[in-house]
Amino acid sequence: MHAAATAIPGEDRAAEISRLLGEGGDLLGARLAAHRDLRTAALPDRVRHLWRFTNPAHLLPGDPAVPAPELFASVNEGPAAARVVLRPGAAPHVTVSPAAAAAGVEVAPIASSTDLDLQLGDEADGSPVLFGALNRALWNCGVRVRIPRGVTLEAPLHVRVEAAAPAVLPRLLVEVGEDAEATLVEEHVGGREGTRVVARTELDAAAGARLRHVLVQRWSEGVHGHLTARARAGRDADLRTTFASLGGSRAKVELLSDLAGEGARSEMRGIAFGAADQRFDHHTRHRHLAGRTWSDIDFKAVADGRARSSYTGLIRIEEAARGAEAFQENRNLLLADTGRADSIPELEILNEDVSCSHGATVAPVDPEQIFYLQSRGLAPEAAVRLVVHGFLAGALDRMPERTRESVLKLVTARLDGWKGAAA
Amino acid sequence: MSARQQVLGINDNYTERYGFSDPEDYFLKAPKGIDHELVEMISRKKGEPEWMRDLRHKALDIFLEKPMPRWGNTEMLGGIDFDDIHYYIKPKGEQARDWDDVPADIKRTFDRLGVPEAERKFLAGVTAQYESEVVYHSIREDLEAQGVLFCDMDSGLRDHPEIVRRFFGTVIPTRDNKFSALNTAVWSGGSFIYVPKNVKVEIPLQAYFRINAENMGQFERTLIIADEGSSVHYIEGCTAPTYSSDSLHSAVVELIAMKGAHIRYTTIQNWSTNVFNLVTKRAHAHEDAVVEWVDGNIGSKLTMKYPAIVLKGERAHGEVLSIAFAGHGQHQDAGAKMIHAAPNTTSRIVSKSISKDDGRSSYRGLVQMARGSRGCRTNVECDALLIGERARSDTYPTMDIAEDDVRVEHEARVSKVGEEQLFYLQSRGLDEDKARLMIVNGFIEPFVKELPMEYAVELNRLIELEMEGSVG
Repeated sequence: MHAAATAIPGEDRAAEISRLLGEGGDLLGARLAAHRDLRTAALPDRVRHLWRFTNPAHLLPGDPAVPAPELFASVNEGPAAARVVLRPGAAPHVTVSPAAAAAGVEVAPIASSTDLDLQLGDEADGSPVLFGALNRALWNCGVRVRIPRGVTLEAPLHVRVEAAAPAVLPRLLVEVGEDAEATLVEEHVGGREGTRVVARTELDAAAGARLRHVLVQRWSEGVHGHLTARARAGRDADLRTTFASLGGSRAKVELLSDLAGEGARSEMRGIAFGAADQRFDHHTRHRHLAGRTWSDIDFKAVADGRARSSYTGLIRIEEAARGAEAFQENRNLLLADTGRADSIPELEILNEDVSCSHGATVAPVDPEQIFYLQSRGLAPEAAVRLVVHGFLAGALDRMPERTRESVLKLVTARLDGWKGAAA
Repeated sequence: MSARQQVLGINDNYTERYGFSDPEDYFLKAPKGIDHELVEMISRKKGEPEWMRDLRHKALDIFLEKPMPRWGNTEMLGGIDFDDIHYYIKPKGEQARDWDDVPADIKRTFDRLGVPEAERKFLAGVTAQYESEVVYHSIREDLEAQGVLFCDMDSGLRDHPEIVRRFFGTVIPTRDNKFSALNTAVWSGGSFIYVPKNVKVEIPLQAYFRINAENMGQFERTLIIADEGSSVHYIEGCTAPTYSSDSLHSAVVELIAMKGAHIRYTTIQNWSTNVFNLVTKRAHAHEDAVVEWVDGNIGSKLTMKYPAIVLKGERAHGEVLSIAFAGHGQHQDAGAKMIHAAPNTTSRIVSKSISKDDGRSSYRGLVQMARGSRGCRTNVECDALLIGERARSDTYPTMDIAEDDVRVEHEARVSKVGEEQLFYLQSRGLDEDKARLMIVNGFIEPFVKELPMEYAVELNRLIELEMEGSVG
């Protein structure tokens, strides 16, 4: 089981990336400690359902100390409170709007081992130790964002991670202070055949904070990646996650939300649209740790061609979480008879004072809807496109305008490539 | 204990009703533990053909080589000590066809459990298994005259070797899982049923399984074949004494519904809470066939059972209707599997569970649609009711869909008894306990109404037990 160790870059590579980033303080020590954990960590158990659909060996990165070439040309993506570009082997490229800077928003490189994580508490269950340790030992680009208490940011914080080297290990840490409010857009772009990404995002929403996290994955073909976002919501905090998975060849995405404070809320809306031979494997987990917490996840997947979407979702309501409410939906639309969908929506409820439900469906495009649209004069293919757009609309509506437009463009391009039901 | 906690005292008087034990007086009690010598001994005593003996030995190797499951309640599973189990116990006396010929002590046991009474009232045939062997067996003459075969599995192998050899292990291969391998190695007893073409067995056939000895392992093997256009309803019930150390029940049940046939298999499992109940049940449904598993899990310490239907022929239909009740210390890990392997097959799963005190019930299910199984539909509904602060409910469904022209729906709800429902019923003059019972009865009603009347009455009675003392 420890075969993983041989496929993982050695500790000299951890030292090399540390040198490349010009790290001071005790960061190298933290890398080496994590690397020691790696050597004894097994690959996740494929017998267990969380890794049944993705072979973890296919996600292991190569040498993280290969720096990326030049920055991509910057594009105007509308107003932002801050704009960060992360490239492997380089310091983060950061611009902060004057308003955000004046409000005390900090966007800075990770500078010490105490900066390295947000102490979100026990990690067990969903996220395997191996990939967590991998990122801690070998992360090769990262940024830490702090939003002071009471600050409301109207414009989004935009972080673009460019998969511009063979191994991309970004680390993104975001703290939202008490009663503060912010939108974080995390966008994964670029890459080529053979690129491997192991990303780690940690989000801490303090009491009364409101955080919207928008995660867009639009890698190029050939990229294999593992994205983990872990969030913790304090008392009455409100987390809203919107994710869109469109690119890459194999993507495993784990979204883990801990409702740690009384009255905390977490809403997730997500879409995946796969074509050709793409493989998407999404896992969401809501852990209700405190009373009167609320969560709602709705994930919609479309599979065209030979694409396969797998979803495992867990709602766990602990004994202490009395009066919790949780809802979970997963709908899958297969556009071709070679598409495939797996769905494992799970509930674990450890106290009686809850209200909880989940539902999952897999179906083709409803012929009655198509018939109706055709009767209104639409061509059959246009009708299908309209139905798919409608299917995905709920999640897209929750994105900031510029992000929504760019995702919509990708969805539309995908649908233009759709060959029709008869094909 | 508050009145509220006393409600739903299912099986609180288990010891007195079912948990009694008889003094042990056996013809043969194999020493504890399992090895090739034991397998050889069982096979020789039964005078089995060569192929079955070989199969048993191979199965033992597979059992020993396979690891324990790494999923489910691994903590409880880890408590099974395979060296501390008697794998074969043969009671005294020969199999009887007349109730009066059953040895007196065993007869007393089944009299207490109400088996002969049930037979008189509403059954077309009965077998009663005590430890490893079937001790009583009967079938109505008219069915026998129509060619219906209903006997214990050992007799089936002896008297109808060609049918048994053709179908045995074809639905559940030895290698399927660790416990199917164990069963194949040491199986004894169980039912063998063959229903000829177009024969409809209108009245249910029943088997009653009883474990009496401590640290007993019961490994019955059941094979039911419904030939083209026939139909049959089979019911099994299970109980055991309450001991402080654990027993193991690990059955393998194979059903084959040929073209247009209909099999309904009803289980009311009420093992004592020291029994591990690890059972593999699977059916093949051919063209236009219908298979239904009606599965009630009330007893046992840990049950792991997921009745499966492989829909092999076009337009076959499968249904699983299950109810689980998990009280103190119990884990009911039950569910269903539907494999849609042919076009236009349909299925439905309805699962209801009640967790009480620190009881845990899990629904674990699989719906699979192979590529090319066009026009298939399935609908899965899980409802869980929690009673008690530490009660636990899990839902683990898996949907694996490789065909676009299908419709798959899954829904689950978990709730406690609603305060509003209680309030409403109380405002209508019911006291709280009666109101609670009424809500619970309403919850399981879709299951109960599928049972033959006597069973429905029995289940309702089980649920009402302890109610008397809880008022005031």
